[in-house]
Amino acid sequence: MYIHSRRLVTSLFATAVIGSTILWVHAATPATTPSGAHPPAKAQTWPGAADLGRALFFDRGLSASGQMACATCHDPAHAFAPANNLATQLGGPDMKHQGLRAAPSLRYTLNRMPRWHVEQPSALLERLEAQELPPTGGLTWDGRFDKLEDQAAFPLLNADEMANGSDTDFANRLRKSPNAEAFRRVFGDKILASDKDALHYAGIALAQYQLEDQAFHPYSSKFDAWMDGKAQLTAQELRGKQLFDDPKSGNCASCHFDAKGANGAHPLFTDYQFEVLGVPRNSELAANKNPHFFDMGLCGPLRQDQAKEKTYCGMFRTPTLRNVATRGSFFHNGRYRDLKTALQFYVQRDTHPQRWYPVKNGKVVKFDDLPADLRGNVDTNDEPLTRKRGGKPAWNDQQINDVIAFLKTLNDSDTTTVIEAANGKPRHGG
Amino acid sequence: MKTTWNKWLAGLLGSAIVMGAMVGCNSSSDGNATVSAPTATPTPTAAPSIHSIRHVWVLTLENENYTTTFSATPTSKYLAQDLPAQGALLQQYFGTGHVSLDNYIAMISGQSGNPDTNMDCQTFSEFVQTGTDSDGQAIGRGCVYPSTVKTLPDQLKAAGLTWHGYMEDMGFDPAREAATCGHPVIGTQDMTQSPESPSSAVPNGDQYATRHNPFAYFHSIIDSADCGTNVTELAQLENDLKSVSTTANFNFITPNLCNDGHDTNCVTNEPGGLSSVDTFLRKWVPLIMASPAFQQDGLLIINFDESSATSSVPDMTANTLTIVYNGDSCCGQKPGPNLGTYPQIQNFGAVTYGGHTWSNMALQYTSYGGDRTGAVMLSPFIKGGTVSTTGYNHYSMLRSIEDIFNLSHLGYAGQDGLTPFGSDIFNNLH
Repeated sequence: MYIHSRRLVTSLFATAVIGSTILWVHAATPATTPSGAHPPAKAQTWPGAADLGRALFFDRGLSASGQMACATCHDPAHAFAPANNLATQLGGPDMKHQGLRAAPSLRYTLNRMPRWHVEQPSALLERLEAQELPPTGGLTWDGRFDKLEDQAAFPLLNADEMANGSDTDFANRLRKSPNAEAFRRVFGDKILASDKDALHYAGIALAQYQLEDQAFHPYSSKFDAWMDGKAQLTAQELRGKQLFDDPKSGNCASCHFDAKGANGAHPLFTDYQFEVLGVPRNSELAANKNPHFFDMGLCGPLRQDQAKEKTYCGMFRTPTLRNVATRGSFFHNGRYRDLKTALQFYVQRDTHPQRWYPVKNGKVVKFDDLPADLRGNVDTNDEPLTRKRGGKPAWNDQQINDVIAFLKTLNDSDTTTVIEAANGKPRHGG
Repeated sequence: MKTTWNKWLAGLLGSAIVMGAMVGCNSSSDGNATVSAPTATPTPTAAPSIHSIRHVWVLTLENENYTTTFSATPTSKYLAQDLPAQGALLQQYFGTGHVSLDNYIAMISGQSGNPDTNMDCQTFSEFVQTGTDSDGQAIGRGCVYPSTVKTLPDQLKAAGLTWHGYMEDMGFDPAREAATCGHPVIGTQDMTQSPESPSSAVPNGDQYATRHNPFAYFHSIIDSADCGTNVTELAQLENDLKSVSTTANFNFITPNLCNDGHDTNCVTNEPGGLSSVDTFLRKWVPLIMASPAFQQDGLLIINFDESSATSSVPDMTANTLTIVYNGDSCCGQKPGPNLGTYPQIQNFGAVTYGGHTWSNMALQYTSYGGDRTGAVMLSPFIKGGTVSTTGYNHYSMLRSIEDIFNLSHLGYAGQDGLTPFGSDIFNNLH
């Protein structure tokens, strides 16, 4: 039997860019093609695919604008996250189209992301209880991609991102790319004869790069060194970790797991589950000019197959917190531009809702980025989201600074923060 | 099977030497055994008895009620019809509690549930013992029993016998649990409460559940090197079955959360429920029954941890839905010292079921039993098509296994008047 203990799902720190798209391809992708053509070979047997993927990752010529590559929004110097503090990134043919969701970091989680699923117990009672079981896994903020080639295709074809109008459009650009010859070397001389194959195997190459290249999982943070006994956390950092872990306080670790794995694996600070956090509507997003538009994550509009699951509306997948302190915007809609405000939102959402949500006719409109009839989906069960208006927040200002100090220990040594980059400061030291 | 039994009987009669000395120790379990009259040889030989059984397998499935599993049109015809035709159907076999874990613990220790094991031990806590009652029940609550609380493996080891636990999927994700003796760190959240779907790093997913592995909950086992040797992933069973010398005397098999029927529409896209149970049994039962140890002197018990039989009591006026577990038991089962009085009710708040949103769902345990599940037993000592209507439960099973191996009775296995498996089942002891 399964008794679910509902946990705080801090879909915390998201980030901005175009459509929230991570580019990667599942290593186990069946070697068949949409066109039905014979595949060149299995992914794992393609020498040079990762190197090719690296080249494609930085190839701006694959976009309609000629100015955008994967790395434009997923900057290696920023843990493969945006290098700016825009709520969401700009792209499209004219580089003026605003994306709907923040671009996440591509570090750490890609090869461990479980396929999207919801456990379904056989027994009636457990099925009822399972209504509280949050969905888990899948790629992007709404988990809508299990097939990695499909996910890779999204930003390549999305009108707000690289804006190829079709697979033919993309294949034509690839054929003219300096990487075309390498593409044929890796996947076969005839690979670019098929538009669909060109798109599909570009995704595979990008995936291999992100799965295999050490740059996507360096484990070079102070936290990692501390876990290995090679560094010490300061008193403030340790206080921050305690607040982060405490189930009666921040309770962050209930979703952003921070314990070593059974084999000593360092934690990735996510449980891959979905959560309805009730992040306020971001008026900076062009899509939100329409008062009837709502980005409800798992139940749409980008994802369609779960549209009828109304309890899923407002759910977004919990991101990793590694390198979160390097970011310039936070949450799926990039609502906040600094980490401190993001943390204040967590602990004051319910105690001081007037600070975070609009007030109409003297009444605070909480959870205003969901239709009124779906606001009951928002998590009010898990600390620190259980408190009453006027109550005491889980953290005071000093404690928030302590937690920030802890979160900064998660910055990899090769990263620089958006703020530091703007001020011309170099990357973090070892 | 007939030719197999003939071979078995010939081997048994030729090898039985000391069994007669054991008979007197367990009069309750073998009273119907008969002693063959001496024929050609002057040397007296012991008649076959339950002590002739030297290899036992327990294969435990999940959460199904008798009337569903053994209906006239069963989902698993193999379990419901084909296997009983080769052995015995125990129509009145009962679980000892709800939910899972308390049943598994009962099977190998005779300990009854406590508030933590009856919630599947979401946190892998120490059992804090305050005393022991006259039935050998540890008084207290928690998950991992102190080393003073003994188990069937402890008894077997002391008697010079061997045991093995086969846990499907254990260690598939080595960051989640170890591949041998896998369990959470004491005091931490049990990360195996939900199945893990496949990812690039874990291509087959991981549906191991610690709560279905009884060995993990006793210090006498997990603190011993035996645990690493004897509690392993299921795949090892196939090799271990190849000879008598590599087959343990007592074997406990736990399929993963899909193959034990716990889940449906599993995270691996398999069907789950009794359909996956059927597939699993069709693979493993023939392997066990064909093994030299089984053919020589084996007994396979296929049971369920608990029933899922519930009734729904809607109250349209109050807009509440109450799910009722009868909690039926048999065999004079006692409630144990740690669970308080019944009925017990848990409220889960608002749920949507059957297209209707209830303001509250309540779960009522009318009593402390695990309800009726039925069981199937296979052995050369059992005639095909045997049907038993005698009441049995997990404590009966433990007592029976202890009797088979001439061991004392642990916990409620020693309950006065508890009936072990008898001649209604072992009807081929001649």
